[in-house]
Amino acid sequence: MNQPALLSKQNIIFAILLVVLVAFPFVADSRTLTILLTQIFIFGILAMSYDILLGYTGIVSFGHAMFFGIGAYSTAIMLKEIQPTIPVFIGSIVVGMVLAGILSFFVGLLTLRLKSHFFAMLTLAISGLLLVVAEKWRSVTKGNDGFTFRAPDVFKDRIVFYFCVLACLVIVFLILRRFVNSPLGRVLIAIRENEQRTRSLGFKTLHYKVISSIVAGVIASLAGSLYAISLRFVNTSMMTMDITLDALLMTIIGGVGTLVGPLVGSVVIEFAQHYLSGLARDYPIFERWIIFFGIIYILAVVFFPKGIVGSILTKISKWKQRDQVPLPESKERSK
Amino acid sequence: MDLLISLVINGLATGMLIFLLAAGLTLIFGLMDVLNFAHGGLFVWGAYTGVVTYAYTESFLIGIVVSILTGIILGFIMEKLIITPVYGNHVQQILITLGFMLVLQEMIKVAFGPNAIPVTVPSYLAGSWEIGEVIVIKYRVFIIVVGFIIFGIFHYILTRTKIGLIVRAGVINKEMVQALGINIKRVFLFVFMTGASLAALGGMLMAPYSGSIYAEMGMEFAILGFIVVVIGGMGSFSGSLLAAILVGLAGSFMAYYVPYLSLAVNMILMAIVLIFRPQGLFSMIRREST
Amino acid sequence: MENLLKLHNIHTHIGQYHILQGIDFEAKEGEVSVLLGRNGAGKTTTLKTIMGLTPASSGAVHYLNQDITKKPTYDIANLGIGYVPENQGIFGQLTVEENLKVAIRKETPEIMEKQEYVLNLFPDLKKFWKKAGGNLSGGQKQMLAMARAFVNDSKLLLIDEPSKGLAPIVIEKVMEAIVEMKKQTTIVLVEQNFLMASNIGDTYTLIDDGRTVRSGEMSELIQNDELKQKYLGIG
Repeated sequence: MNQPALLSKQNIIFAILLVVLVAFPFVADSRTLTILLTQIFIFGILAMSYDILLGYTGIVSFGHAMFFGIGAYSTAIMLKEIQPTIPVFIGSIVVGMVLAGILSFFVGLLTLRLKSHFFAMLTLAISGLLLVVAEKWRSVTKGNDGFTFRAPDVFKDRIVFYFCVLACLVIVFLILRRFVNSPLGRVLIAIRENEQRTRSLGFKTLHYKVISSIVAGVIASLAGSLYAISLRFVNTSMMTMDITLDALLMTIIGGVGTLVGPLVGSVVIEFAQHYLSGLARDYPIFERWIIFFGIIYILAVVFFPKGIVGSILTKISKWKQRDQVPLPESKERSK
Repeated sequence: MDLLISLVINGLATGMLIFLLAAGLTLIFGLMDVLNFAHGGLFVWGAYTGVVTYAYTESFLIGIVVSILTGIILGFIMEKLIITPVYGNHVQQILITLGFMLVLQEMIKVAFGPNAIPVTVPSYLAGSWEIGEVIVIKYRVFIIVVGFIIFGIFHYILTRTKIGLIVRAGVINKEMVQALGINIKRVFLFVFMTGASLAALGGMLMAPYSGSIYAEMGMEFAILGFIVVVIGGMGSFSGSLLAAILVGLAGSFMAYYVPYLSLAVNMILMAIVLIFRPQGLFSMIRREST
Repeated sequence: MENLLKLHNIHTHIGQYHILQGIDFEAKEGEVSVLLGRNGAGKTTTLKTIMGLTPASSGAVHYLNQDITKKPTYDIANLGIGYVPENQGIFGQLTVEENLKVAIRKETPEIMEKQEYVLNLFPDLKKFWKKAGGNLSGGQKQMLAMARAFVNDSKLLLIDEPSKGLAPIVIEKVMEAIVEMKKQTTIVLVEQNFLMASNIGDTYTLIDDGRTVRSGEMSELIQNDELKQKYLGIG
């Protein structure tokens, strides 16, 4: 993939989508859908950050929720304790990001030397530990009961918040796309493909993996901050394995290593969750909607490891190749 | 003194339950290089099928048999459907076993309902002995005895029989075992099913001990199992017993003296071991005993 | 004499690398056939391909007049092919006794007799019967690996660089053992040590860059200095 030109087909599609999403709140006056889309954007950001780890660096972290939780708590605590204004909100996002960055730096340094199995378990343990700390540190976090707080007044208008989150999504997407297409991103992909070889080429793979985990952690913290605002409430369930699992499901089903995939995954899962829970009133089996995704997810891991977007992209590129068969090859065949 | 003894018994009993889960995990990891994140699903399925049978037949023993059978059957399905397609690919293994864990856990809620189910201790194991001032709860002793018997049986199998020898050789060098004419895949399946049945048995024994069962307990115990496997050394059977006892005792003492640290202590222990001694604390013991 | 083993135009890929690019090779019954070539020429991979450990992507391996190219490793081993890998593949934490026991399929009187014969061939193994394989010396490990491959009445032994890292006096012993085993079985030997190879080999096959470049009687190669110079860098 080359650096996409400003007017590439891909960018045009994104621009059209963006216009649709910007126009949406003015055209459709649906509060539920606006909230749902906001939720999709937030989890889209989280899932994209997870894709940096899983899709671009090839590491499975079970502790991603802790960075999400750090963002959520930073925002909630600062808005509650200082005052619910926009500057404090922005400050809280920065604080969350810095904390997440520091934590992911140290966690990465400690864990990323380990092989995949051990890494996955250690991240599970560390995030479990942090969860315990959060639950016991009731004076600050209020444990699993959590606490409500006032969001800045402008966000009382759901549409303003919708645009705020959409802007974050677009910015994060552009930054991350830049990041994965940069020379640094190339090294990460090389690590995913074959870490040993990348190391023997002279790259200090640990450094690159730590950078990847910091980027992922910082972005996840942003998603957490936005999520807290959207609920005006925060509790320790935002740091549990469930959040990590959501990000994982979205990334796998949407397509790892594509950035767009996790967004698609977020759309699919949030919509499905919304409508399937609606169906559950009549058909109790849908209360367990996660089963369907579990099964789809397993099938995806085995049969479509590239997910929805990855599979489509492969199809397209194959189709393109068939259209323009390079001449030398056909000559070879006729021999 | 009486407090000390009851804390020890408590810790040992919990340790044994974790051991049953961890024994399979560690052998599967050592032999097949697969870390089965769905192992907790076997634990919870063993518990549910066993408890339901126990409630229906009013026989604890039949419940145990059914739970073991569940483990064997699920182990067979899991190995064939979930593990075999992703041999050798660690990232895919982690992803797929975790996904299967999710499915197993949710299926519990579909099959048995989302609420916790209360379980009672069978009458002949209920109650306690009073020895001087010490009160010893019978069921805990039962778990400890069963745990040691299971350990004894499997230790015997591993060290004294041909299949055990092949498993130990396979842990060291799979390729060579195959080059000596052994179908390692069949050994994998055997070990996987055995490990699954132990986990299921652990779940069933756990049920009356904790008084109720719920779908999430699989993942909770699996995390303890992972901690034990790491501390005991991946692939070490004896190591997993020692580590399980250690984790059980640490849990029971901490829960009494510094309750808010009880889970954290084990997590920290595992983190320290992983960072400084990834081969496990007890890996030396394994080398000496074999 | 009959061809016990025959490789025809074998190609093998490991990952994305095309390691073997046309190996032809034969081993006649009762002989010692030596695979020669530089480091990285593909000798070890050739043995692994015969064993099915790195299966061939094209070409055919015939053994006892059947096609074993696609068979799984354990089937190939059970057809009577014993394998001694380059690093010997000893189970370090198992005792000498256990190492042999893993290999023995069934404790029939014939096999136990064979075990006795092997142990007489390598008296050291008997001496360290209960010692962990990992604690043996390099030479003893080599002997254990050879005994383990041989004990099942193997019709064909594949031995990968038995002299590697051993002291000259130990190499001598290993050579004697191979000569002794040759009376009962056919041997395919990968060997860098040309002195050893030329001493015990009946035929040779030269491999370079994953291809068979030449094969013939060992006596012919010994006299052909040009060939030795070109492909082995000696002479």
